[in-house]
Amino acid sequence: MVSVLKRAIAIAFILIIGYWIASALSHVPFGADKMLVGNYYLQHVENQTGAINAVTAIVVNYRGFDTLGEVTVLFIASTGVAALLWERKRKRTARTEGTIVLTTGTRLLFPFILLFGSYIFIHGHLTPGGGFPGGATIATGFLLMYLAFTTYRIPHRGFEVSEGLAGMGYVIVGLIGLAVGGYFLFDWIWQTWKIGTVGNLVSGGFIPVIYTLIAIKVGTELSGIVDNMLREGSS
Amino acid sequence: MNGQYAALLIAIPLISAFFVPLIKKAGRKAILSYVIAVTVAQIAVAAWVFKRVYTTGKPIIVMAGGWKPPVGINLYIGYFAALFVLIVAIASFLMAVFNLRAMKTEPLDKYAMLFLLLMLGATGMIATGDIFNLFVFMEITSITAYALVAYNKTGEAAEASMKYMILGGIGSSFFLIGIALIYGATGTLNMAQLAQFAGLVNSTVVQAALALLIFGLAVEAELFPLNAWAPDAYQASPHPITAMFAAFVVKAGLYAMVRVLFLFQASSGWSGIMKLLVIMATLTVVFGEFSALRQRDVKRMVAYSSISQIGLAAFGFALVGKAGASTGVASLAVSAAVFHMVNHAIVKLLLFLAVGYVAIALGGTKLEHFKGLGRRMPVTAFSITIAAFAVVGIPMFNVFWSKVKLLIAGVEAGYTWSVFLILGASVVEAVYYFRLVHTMWFSGEDVNEKISESVPIMAMMLALVAVIIYIGLYPNTVWHVVQKAGSDLLNVGSYVKHVPLINVGVRP
Repeated sequence: MVSVLKRAIAIAFILIIGYWIASALSHVPFGADKMLVGNYYLQHVENQTGAINAVTAIVVNYRGFDTLGEVTVLFIASTGVAALLWERKRKRTARTEGTIVLTTGTRLLFPFILLFGSYIFIHGHLTPGGGFPGGATIATGFLLMYLAFTTYRIPHRGFEVSEGLAGMGYVIVGLIGLAVGGYFLFDWIWQTWKIGTVGNLVSGGFIPVIYTLIAIKVGTELSGIVDNMLREGSS
Repeated sequence: MNGQYAALLIAIPLISAFFVPLIKKAGRKAILSYVIAVTVAQIAVAAWVFKRVYTTGKPIIVMAGGWKPPVGINLYIGYFAALFVLIVAIASFLMAVFNLRAMKTEPLDKYAMLFLLLMLGATGMIATGDIFNLFVFMEITSITAYALVAYNKTGEAAEASMKYMILGGIGSSFFLIGIALIYGATGTLNMAQLAQFAGLVNSTVVQAALALLIFGLAVEAELFPLNAWAPDAYQASPHPITAMFAAFVVKAGLYAMVRVLFLFQASSGWSGIMKLLVIMATLTVVFGEFSALRQRDVKRMVAYSSISQIGLAAFGFALVGKAGASTGVASLAVSAAVFHMVNHAIVKLLLFLAVGYVAIALGGTKLEHFKGLGRRMPVTAFSITIAAFAVVGIPMFNVFWSKVKLLIAGVEAGYTWSVFLILGASVVEAVYYFRLVHTMWFSGEDVNEKISESVPIMAMMLALVAVIIYIGLYPNTVWHVVQKAGSDLLNVGSYVKHVPLINVGVRP
């Protein structure tokens, strides 16, 4: 009986909260043109950032500080996984080699996956995409290698170092902005040096630079997580 | 130097954390010394920022990317942020020194990165002026904290981290939904602009959004009933991390909550939300003290005590709802709450440092380990005793002043029932702290072998003891500082005025 009463109270509670949130939502003008800052971005994005893709311009340039944070969050996730799964000696314990379809397919596809991933992040300022999806695509290439070959391992140490260097690179780009333009994460490539023409590959100021760094970082981090999860300790 | 260089507060810990993989092979001592060096650099920048903010009387507005708010993200380092960023840096430095003694568990390179990022996350939460950026820094802080809680890789640590992760994850989602509601209703994420719009938005929307935000942040701020994760996490974490949680991580959460709440003081549903906060805060105090009484493990006991002290600070902030933001009572309450946060940071840093040191030296933190501590580790026992006296609120020690001011403000605001409950809880607090002091000095006649205490740790403990007594004897110096910090939180008008908002259209 107690549990029935408990459940009834819980359900009533949920309904009250649900009603309350729903009534709040009904007052939010979803769908109406209520973009305040958004309109500003759309009107000025080309001129101020040199990027065609407004989303990337907002993510990397206008709100680049958030992106630096998000990159850090991913870094923490991979560091946390590495810290918690740490053991002095670990190795892969997979026994079944992939089928011939998988191994052959992987050999063929692997370079193209890396190429496609690079395409995504290099063109982040022109087409949908950017460093995060590009890096994730690259990491799927390495995941495929792990699936196909039981003995495969990424060069772990090298990946870790490049992960750190890419992160430092991002902060350094920001610090150069502080030194050149007077603001942290200031787009010195577009606003001070005015390099590139809008719509070309060379444009968008520091967006392609940062996205390349982010892609290296995301790619190595996700591959590192895969590597950490696929190795088991002796104990 | 240009005020924009305050961005180094974020850049230094970040770039230093990314650098750690490169010196991974350098060995334990080198990595931990490197962390100390980084915290020293952080103190230098924080001290420069503090001096600048308090001498010019104007906040530093860091505009990331050079974009004027609300187009870009800005940091707002006013009186409050300048003070607490400095506290974060100093606490991190002390714990970085403690690391040398406390941390033996590998992989220390990962630990060093997480340590620096925990400092970064709290600094960012305190400094930011953009509500979504607040979310990002909250994520940095909490995800780092999940990993650090589990770092010792014991069963308890994994369980504590799991609990924290689930509660924290739900909290973060609530917070995110709250931000979405606010953004949907106003079209902006800048905190100063949100304050301008607060009075114009529909009150149901604001209430729902604020309730979501409070529940989201209450997980980090350890308010009842969302603090069930905290005692486990405090107990299972590495000792320096526990001290950092109590000294600034929880305070960053509380600050974020209070800042967001105060920004919306012009909205019509506001006082109802503040009443909710008074109840949550009072229950936090009572629940924390009574749970602490039952503990046989000293680290866990101090953790519960820490929770209840945070509840007391939250109570101070919540008083503003009834008193009205522009009244003298409100400014007394908020200043006292900030004062309490500062005092609590100092005292709990000392307590967790000393208790952690006992754990390292004697192998545990059960009450039995503290028998005869007065003879075995006299300086540590002395420090714990002073800290215990301070927490309980004995005159001559720092917490006394903030506690008294908080309770006076509570009575003046008309929350006599809460004040009585809190006073009752304080008696409980005195009971278990005096039990600890009694165990240390007047029991365990059979254990006599003396343990030689480490000089750097003794120096840190005695320095903190000196600060506790100094503030206890001369509270006015710090009181002036916290009054300014309190007014920075309370006076939203001046907050908005100092942020150079550009006009991007009219809303709503």
